[in-house]
Amino acid sequence: MDLITVTREEGLRFSVQLRGHVMTTDMSVAEGGKDGGPSPVEYLGVASGACLATMVQAYCDARGFVDGDVSVSLTLELVENPNRVSSIVLDVELPRDVPEGDREKLKKMALRMPVPATLRDGPKVDIEMF
Amino acid sequence: MSMVELGGKQVEIDEDGFIQDPDVWDEAVALDLAKTEGVDALSDDHWKLVNYLRDYYLEYNMAPMIRKLCKQTGFSLKVVYDLFPSGPAKGACKVAGLPKPTGCV
Repeated sequence: MDLITVTREEGLRFSVQLRGHVMTTDMSVAEGGKDGGPSPVEYLGVASGACLATMVQAYCDARGFVDGDVSVSLTLELVENPNRVSSIVLDVELPRDVPEGDREKLKKMALRMPVPATLRDGPKVDIEMF
Repeated sequence: MSMVELGGKQVEIDEDGFIQDPDVWDEAVALDLAKTEGVDALSDDHWKLVNYLRDYYLEYNMAPMIRKLCKQTGFSLKVVYDLFPSGPAKGACKVAGLPKPTGCV
């Protein structure tokens, strides 16, 4: 895994660099930022949706399901004390020619895809302060 | 907290525009709350969503989970956001007169 670095731009807006790619994160105005990009928690949703879309599209491509593309809509449900995501709700739109049997199979497979599986099993978070 | 006119009556709202007393809610209040969310008119589908939220809240004293809302109304997430662009929690719940949802991102 390549190194991800997060450096401050201004206020609560940070630049995220990874392998030459640059992303921006910021908090909403209500949370003290300027909404200059998705919030860190929203990136968790981005990762979930993108993971699912990628893996499901690869499945469909491999089996020749080509009548339409995969798309994902999702949202996060949040709770307080502490602020956290209580659920990630994802709707996956499949190519029209995916048979019912494969739809059921994909639903089961989806929970084993890297991001959903990581979230389900709760990875160790190891932090040092310098 | 502040008082504003919604549905032809004075209603107390919080800093995000959520009404404080669910009992003052009626359809006229909902129509004015919808305008604050950029929804100028409420279609049958809007009312289906709003009434489901309202009924659920009155029965359980809490908002339903989003997946339950989708399943019970038959609306996909995309449709829910098409109806209420600010989302089920900040948009639809506000219009339905429910308390402000918890959590932040």
